[in-house]
Amino acid sequence: MPYPKEQTDELKGYCKKVSVLPEAGVEFLYLEELRLPVGCTPAVCDALLCPVAKDGYPSRLFFAAQVSSQFARNWNGTVRIGEKNWFAFSWKVDLVSPTLAQLLVAHLNGFAKEK
Amino acid sequence: MSPDRYSRQSFLGADAEERIARCTVAVLGLGGGGSHVVQQLAHIGFQNYIIYDGDHVEESNLNRLVGARAVDALAETPKLHLAKMMIYGLQPRARIQAFACKWQENPEPLRESQIVIGCVDTYKGREELEIACRRYLMHYIDIGMDVHGKQPPVIGGQVILSSPGGVCMRCMGFLTDEKLAQEAARYGDVGGRPQVIWPNGVLASTAVGLAVELVSNWTHKDRSHAYLVYDGNAGTVQDSHTLRKLKVNCDHYSSMNVGDPVLVEL
Amino acid sequence: MIKIKLTGALHAEMLQDLKRPHPFAAERVGFVTGRIGTLAGGQLILLTGYHAIPDHEYLKDHKVGARIGSEAITWAMQAAYHGRGKREGVFHIHLHGHRGQTGMSGTDSREIPPMISGFQSVGREAPHGIIILSLDHGSTWVWLPHNKEPVQAASVSVIGAPIGVFERSIK
Repeated sequence: MPYPKEQTDELKGYCKKVSVLPEAGVEFLYLEELRLPVGCTPAVCDALLCPVAKDGYPSRLFFAAQVSSQFARNWNGTVRIGEKNWFAFSWKVDLVSPTLAQLLVAHLNGFAKEK
Repeated sequence: MSPDRYSRQSFLGADAEERIARCTVAVLGLGGGGSHVVQQLAHIGFQNYIIYDGDHVEESNLNRLVGARAVDALAETPKLHLAKMMIYGLQPRARIQAFACKWQENPEPLRESQIVIGCVDTYKGREELEIACRRYLMHYIDIGMDVHGKQPPVIGGQVILSSPGGVCMRCMGFLTDEKLAQEAARYGDVGGRPQVIWPNGVLASTAVGLAVELVSNWTHKDRSHAYLVYDGNAGTVQDSHTLRKLKVNCDHYSSMNVGDPVLVEL
Repeated sequence: MIKIKLTGALHAEMLQDLKRPHPFAAERVGFVTGRIGTLAGGQLILLTGYHAIPDHEYLKDHKVGARIGSEAITWAMQAAYHGRGKREGVFHIHLHGHRGQTGMSGTDSREIPPMISGFQSVGREAPHGIIILSLDHGSTWVWLPHNKEPVQAASVSVIGAPIGVFERSIK
């Protein structure tokens, strides 16, 4: 099922380009050059948003590189998706019917919050 | 090479030797299971290998690592080296592509194979390998064993065949979201799990049997999938009960979703 | 280096159709779609689907084994066009009724390249080409994106039960 256009358009405000990457029944959203919160290194990074429940997480944001930030994060999710290796830290987002952008921001807040 | 060499396996078919020799088989993981697999493939006559393992022999491997000697633990011999010696010792003209890393770190060579035998430790690892095998059209044979419980301990294991166009490990009930979630919660740590040689031998032999069947078709079964469950306490290998309610078509992989991933810009 | 792979089911589908007698053509032809996979030091072409050409889309021409009409070509051009986003190309395919390795006939060598140019003009980033099967083998010539000359594939692998590996032998 395609994502609502207004929601994917809203995502474009956070990165250079938004694409769909289908794999094994999941439609990941590929966010090219996603701008990361202040204090992150690198400041910009490709990312994959998985807005559906997978592997014990209701949603997840994967990064093309392990990002260092103000608070140390538990980088426990090294996975292979779309023939690339991705990294994710342990961060569960619990929102009721978020838009894609709200979901993305909630995941990015993982860099800015101590816990 | 003497024509007698394969005379005892002539029942596999008149052209089986040639078919086996033309096939490229990948073995991912050269530990307790993979070392058995490689030995048997070499005996049977496979000539083209793609093998991955970045580990070296340790003392704790010697109870089950086929081909390893005590001196290999002292010398920290790479498992890749053991596998190559095993293969070349039986097939001096074998063509081996060997990679001292995980396949995810160097995935392109894997794609040349027709059969991948995965001897990996995690459910996530299996899922990733199955995805790659579906993308690049490779039969995937998975093996795994574990020992759990006490009084008495229970030895279990599985051999699974997942083929492009056929049902997958999720369809067959082996991979589930629950298992993946539980594993993720443990951060994928498999720890020092109990491992012994004889279940590995049963599972590896079953896997190699499937591979030979795929190449030679000696059973005329036209097998599109398999999920064999090993009960190490009863000493049995039989079809998983989950196959009784199997759907005909796979819901998880599209036969159209092959090749390098293509991003569709929104 | 180029290698080709297809599933056993697709191979069986193609053979079943191509073996059928045609009311007047000496042989049948079809089209196969295929996508690129990156190999170390080469390319993999993964065949994805087969299009059988209906009997009425053949033209009578006794000078060649089979002549297809504009409707069939249009289908192929549209497939090349619609395949752009997936880098999916089109391969002409037919069957030689013998065993062993196959080769391009004089007719194939003359008539296929202009067809490929047409496919390339609409599907620039996709591979296109020709596949010639025999009863127990198969050869493929691939025009990679932006290439004017074909490369013969090193092997064709049928990933079925049984597995078939058809290797190009250089004489």
